[in-house]
Amino acid sequence: MTASLSSELARAEQRYRHFRTFKDKLFRFVMTAGGLTVIGALLTIFVFLVYVVLPLFQSAGMTQLGVIPLAGPAPVRLDLAEHGDTAFALGGDASYRFFEISTGKSLLEGRLTPPETILTALNDSTRSARTIAASFGHGKVLLASPQYRETFVGAQRTMTPALAYPLGPDPVQAVPKGKTIVAIAAEANDDGATIAALANDRMLYLTNYVKVASLLDGEQHVESTQVALKVMSDDVSFMTLNESQQALYVISKKGLVSFFDIHDKNLPRLTEVQVLAPDAQVTAVEFLSGGTSLLIGDSLGKITQWFPIRDQNNRHQLTQIRTFAISNQPVALIVPEFFRKGFAAIDSAGALGLFHTTAERTVYLQKGFLATAPSAAALSPRGDALILLNAHQTLARYDVQNRYPEVSWHSLWGRVWYEGRRAPEFIWQSSSSSNDFEPKFSLTPLAFGTLKATVYAMFFAIPVAVLGAIYTAYFMNAGLRRYVKPSIEIMAALPTVILGFLAGLWLAPLIELRLLGFLGATFLMPLAIFGVAWVWSRLPAWARQRLPQGTEVILLVPLVCGVLWVAMNVSQPLEQLWFGGNLPRWLGQTLGITFDQRNSLVVGIAMGFAVIPNIYSISEDAIFGVPHHLSVGSLALGATSWQTLTRVVLLTASPGIFSGIVIGLGRAVGETMIVLMATGNTPIMDLNIFQGFRALSANIAVEMPESALNSSHYRILFLAALVLFGVTFLFNTVAEIVRQRLRSRYGNL
Amino acid sequence: MQQTIKDPNIEIDAPGEISGTMEEKQISHRAVPLEMPLDNVQDAMQTESFRVNNLFLYYGEKRALNGINMTIPEKQVTAFIGPSGCGKSTLLRCFNRLNELIGGVRTEGEITLKGENILAPSVNVANLRRRVGMVFQKPNPFPKSIYENVAYGLRIQGINNRRVLDRAVEQALRSAALWDEVKDRVQESATALSGGQQQRLVIARAIAIEPEVLLLDEPASALDPISTLKIEELVYELKQNYTIVIVTHNMQQAARVSDYTAFMYMGDLIEFGDTRSLFTTPRKKQTEDYITGRYG
Repeated sequence: MTASLSSELARAEQRYRHFRTFKDKLFRFVMTAGGLTVIGALLTIFVFLVYVVLPLFQSAGMTQLGVIPLAGPAPVRLDLAEHGDTAFALGGDASYRFFEISTGKSLLEGRLTPPETILTALNDSTRSARTIAASFGHGKVLLASPQYRETFVGAQRTMTPALAYPLGPDPVQAVPKGKTIVAIAAEANDDGATIAALANDRMLYLTNYVKVASLLDGEQHVESTQVALKVMSDDVSFMTLNESQQALYVISKKGLVSFFDIHDKNLPRLTEVQVLAPDAQVTAVEFLSGGTSLLIGDSLGKITQWFPIRDQNNRHQLTQIRTFAISNQPVALIVPEFFRKGFAAIDSAGALGLFHTTAERTVYLQKGFLATAPSAAALSPRGDALILLNAHQTLARYDVQNRYPEVSWHSLWGRVWYEGRRAPEFIWQSSSSSNDFEPKFSLTPLAFGTLKATVYAMFFAIPVAVLGAIYTAYFMNAGLRRYVKPSIEIMAALPTVILGFLAGLWLAPLIELRLLGFLGATFLMPLAIFGVAWVWSRLPAWARQRLPQGTEVILLVPLVCGVLWVAMNVSQPLEQLWFGGNLPRWLGQTLGITFDQRNSLVVGIAMGFAVIPNIYSISEDAIFGVPHHLSVGSLALGATSWQTLTRVVLLTASPGIFSGIVIGLGRAVGETMIVLMATGNTPIMDLNIFQGFRALSANIAVEMPESALNSSHYRILFLAALVLFGVTFLFNTVAEIVRQRLRSRYGNL
Repeated sequence: MQQTIKDPNIEIDAPGEISGTMEEKQISHRAVPLEMPLDNVQDAMQTESFRVNNLFLYYGEKRALNGINMTIPEKQVTAFIGPSGCGKSTLLRCFNRLNELIGGVRTEGEITLKGENILAPSVNVANLRRRVGMVFQKPNPFPKSIYENVAYGLRIQGINNRRVLDRAVEQALRSAALWDEVKDRVQESATALSGGQQQRLVIARAIAIEPEVLLLDEPASALDPISTLKIEELVYELKQNYTIVIVTHNMQQAARVSDYTAFMYMGDLIEFGDTRSLFTTPRKKQTEDYITGRYG
């Protein structure tokens, strides 16, 4: 019988050997593949995030596309159409020409005035509005503006250029007859125009033209008002008026800037600032896009940015904001971009630089880019094409790869001094209704918001979760523990969108209504619990033994409810009595503490609720997993339960508790729905618990749908995601390392 | 506490042949041979440590100890033997009330330590356990340094004076015959020690607080033979200062180290007497069957 069994076994072994080997191999393969897939997925996410983010930090590049010779008189003003394919050139003899940039083919040619008149002065700036002010003899000024009209027939784009005259095709009298204009600044829009003209007798005539529609027949005519001002400096070399026609700068060669605040056109207010060192001279002046900042290039190769900020007397003071250096040669040309706060600059030795003001970034700098300084230059509105007019009357065309000049480490994380602000600040403001608006991409307030949410959530979650874990694992009756632990763990399965919804729509209004009650309960609850515990410990043994050991916690259920009820109901009369019935308003009015309904307190509670199960579960396992013989060993040495807990059990479980807390932190950092729904999502930096914030994760959720593909905004949102990924990865790695060390340290206990 | 010096000549390998001199010396301490029933000899005992009076213990409805009566003599080694589940560990754990940690345990009867009923509800359990130290089957050093392990019992009593601790730690480690092996690394983790060293460390930890009684619950069953030998030598040394109660599965060990042996079976104390006579001339058939290996 034994023999037959052994032969049977031998046959079975024969039969199953291959199958077993196959099964072993199959499952080893499946498990390896599963593990590698997880790692692969993680890596892919990381690589993708980096791939999207990386272009933000690349330098700009320039590629020369071609050179065409220019016929006719040397242009004094160049302009480029949106796509950089059509250019406008104004010659010194007042002739103009629209032409195709790649071939030099003329599209439209003409003259501003009759052939016998010549250009005596041209305005200095306002490239983005493209208003050209040309003055002729007898103090006459003509405003013109090149227009590029694009029409599509199917996919075929046709360019129809035209010259528009904001004040009509006839020149207007900008200075009294008989005087000659030496410098001119002008700006026009649909409602009218402003012309500032400096005559040869140092009188500055500021004329404001307003288009008025007649009430009778609706026909438009232009009304003008003029003031005359005496200009003190005798070496005025630049004069420029901003787009909104509210600031006029008259700049002398030695760097004296006369800033006329012309909000009221009839009452200009003058402030004067010396903008340069005594040994320097102003060599170029341009407005930055938007017309608020003035870029002043000097003979030492520096470009300084200035804009007016309001002082204590509510007056605008021109203030120096930043400095950029191109070389030590005089700055020859400054070409601002149309929509971004960047500019190109060329010095007299032919060095070319691309800069961005708010990012404080030199995106591109090439010494000896050109042999000599060009006499005119233009950037396309998209900032991706540049034309330079060389000394030999040739026009060089460049492709500019400069897509993300506004992003730098400094602009993302540092304080940035934005136009119109009094001081450098951390601002996240990615979009607005106005076109002149510069997006402000500081991740600092968002990271701060994430941190704030995490900290307040942890304030709530760590004590509750860890103490709860200690009680359940160490003191609680085993039967009760069987119900309590899974109940708390099932909290983790609650969708956070529900938590966020409850927090934002139920808890937040409730807290606002019963703020005093909530604050009171926070202080009353521990007191009441300690009080009851003390009373309980004083009770005679027979009374205490009525409850099985480890189930005393049940007594706390009515206590907690009772304290909450009392706090909520007592708070209202007290609020009436002390705080005029409305504690939030009282806080705001008396203490100056702003109270938002959806604030960090609400988030702290809701997100604390979300991370409690994580921390609790891991900590509880760690404490419960402390070998029984250790705690018994301690008790056998005469230690009390409390001593055993604090000196042996918690010590042994501490890495587990720590890793639970860190995993909870990681979850809180990445949590989205709660912070999205339970805060006002305002990116402010304020520690006040009664104020909201905007977290990185919520910001991504809110803005990703509205960001243009591959825009700076889009990539910065990915950068925010990368930051979040990094932080949670770091937290989880730390937790895992600690856990591994725990395993090797306590594994042999 | 005095320093112990190991005597390499003590022959403790053969069961029943515990070095004659020491056996006789112990017997000479005793006026009357200790046998069951013990009531009649208790008055004659010069010193008693524990006295167990009619002790019943229940795990829920299940009775684990059946009216135990016995007297543990002071500064002697008493061994509990018996098959698994006979209640010997349970009885041992009554002496420091460690059974109370298990829910649903109920005791009836009385155990006195120096005349004081330790089962009374008014007894401070922590104080009792300080007086009655215990060493477990599996070495259970805390995840602390060697030093802190030994100092633990003192620290929980509120003794934090460095000099007092230093002296006590050294003394306890010497008493546990561990000092020479660890004196250069007392600040290192105790969990890095070998199993035998850990067990001696745990004994050092137990005696650092100078208990009156040392309960050893199968202290060598998880150790290799060499370590077991060291523990047994140690037990012999320690009994000069401590009352020792040892639970063991190993009858040879009981024969080697103990002065008195109690044989338990199914919650009953079957036979209790001096070790030599219990092993050589058991009075009960159950005892004889067990020690000759017929069951167990």
